[in-house]
Amino acid sequence: MSKFGVELEVHIASLRRYARALLRNNRADAEDLVQEALTRAVARSDTFKAGTNLRAWLFTILHNVHVNQVRSKAARPDEVDVDAVESKLVSPARQEERVELREMMRAVDELPEEQRKVLLLVALEGLKYEEVAEMLGVPIGTVMSRLSRAREAVRAKLSNEGSVTLRRVK
Amino acid sequence: MNAHRVTDDELHAYVDGQLAPERRLVVERWLADDPEAARRAEDYRAQAAFLHEIFDPVLREPASDPVHDLTEKLRGRIAGNDNAPSWHAKPWVRMAAAVMLVVAGAGGGWLGRGAVNNSPAVQQRQSLATFAEEASQAHRFYTSDERFQVELGADNQDELNSWLSKRVGREVFGPDLGKVGYRLIGGRSLPTDLGAGAQYMYINDQNKRITLFVGAPQAGNPSKFSFTQNGDVATFYWVEGSLAYALAGRLSKEELLGIAEAVYNDVKAGPPRRDPPPQQDQQNQPQEQQQNGVQPVSDTQKPKDS
Repeated sequence: MSKFGVELEVHIASLRRYARALLRNNRADAEDLVQEALTRAVARSDTFKAGTNLRAWLFTILHNVHVNQVRSKAARPDEVDVDAVESKLVSPARQEERVELREMMRAVDELPEEQRKVLLLVALEGLKYEEVAEMLGVPIGTVMSRLSRAREAVRAKLSNEGSVTLRRVK
Repeated sequence: MNAHRVTDDELHAYVDGQLAPERRLVVERWLADDPEAARRAEDYRAQAAFLHEIFDPVLREPASDPVHDLTEKLRGRIAGNDNAPSWHAKPWVRMAAAVMLVVAGAGGGWLGRGAVNNSPAVQQRQSLATFAEEASQAHRFYTSDERFQVELGADNQDELNSWLSKRVGREVFGPDLGKVGYRLIGGRSLPTDLGAGAQYMYINDQNKRITLFVGAPQAGNPSKFSFTQNGDVATFYWVEGSLAYALAGRLSKEELLGIAEAVYNDVKAGPPRRDPPPQQDQQNQPQEQQQNGVQPVSDTQKPKDS
């Protein structure tokens, strides 16, 4: 019981972090997305089988809600203003890290969404490849190739920036 | 050469902690021979560390009211009639939960771990590596915000040590690192892969903080110093006696090694014996132990009931 209490707390914090990253650090949109996902989770709580993977269940719901949101917004696309995004980067911890964190943000933001999702789910949220495949409804090979392309694209961008040296101290 | 051939997928799985344990050595050998691949692995790790640095602060932000309410509602629905006790709402439990999450996110931590059948030796090595990972994540987490860096201050070190010993279930203490310029500021108890662990935090004159993580491994096979680098946090870890230690800091490997040696020597020398002789401690312990139902392996108890 008590273990469950902490577990749910952990997974929802995880959902909030993922939503924030997915929605390019827009706090209000991210909380809205999580809120809608949880509303649906409450409504469908009978579909959750005790003892199964709660985290995967929650992430799948969030993913479906997000896909629907994107679909309904597709009719009226609004451009993302890069400067606006950067000003929303609320969390750079220390001055000297600002630049590399900002470059990282930008590199991730510029990824095609399907690659960005996989990178965030794996590298930030620590989901298993199989969980990501099931959640996105794609074969595991597709997950791996998206992950690989995402990482190489980010890598290329960061090394092009020149200002960023990724720990290559000999 | 082909026997060493490692696929691209395996390089990712290695970085993500999702590699089959029997392939780990093969991949490590390959990385030792192939600097370009090693650089890729390193860059992928750095990317993950950046993502955590950017987005982990979200874990410390309070959820919006609707999200909070929905969480409570969902808890009730899913757990059936479980009237969740209010303890989960305590700040330290939230913090502990957040740390578990940070750890889970780093290389497929224990929350997300699938069922994998490993030999005991591999398991021990892995759980020790996980322990070190937890130590570095906990370091990152608790040094990031001074408001909750320690649960209990070091004003009374005896109190701190006996409290943490109770949590860990073995006698632990914060070693004296004055010789290397660090003083103890306090500690906290955290959930780890090895059960409850104790984190001691130290600070030096330049405000640099290091943390020592102590846990109780299942089988205490002594091990030498191992080193791991997690983003900008360096960690040395080892097993001595019945305890596992992990020392973490944003320092160079060499600087940290010097401190690790100081920790090792002080721990070897044993806990500080202060004025109250051990007998007095024993009188205070039994009530607590009955409440907890936990039998510490520590030598401070005597079998009263038998």
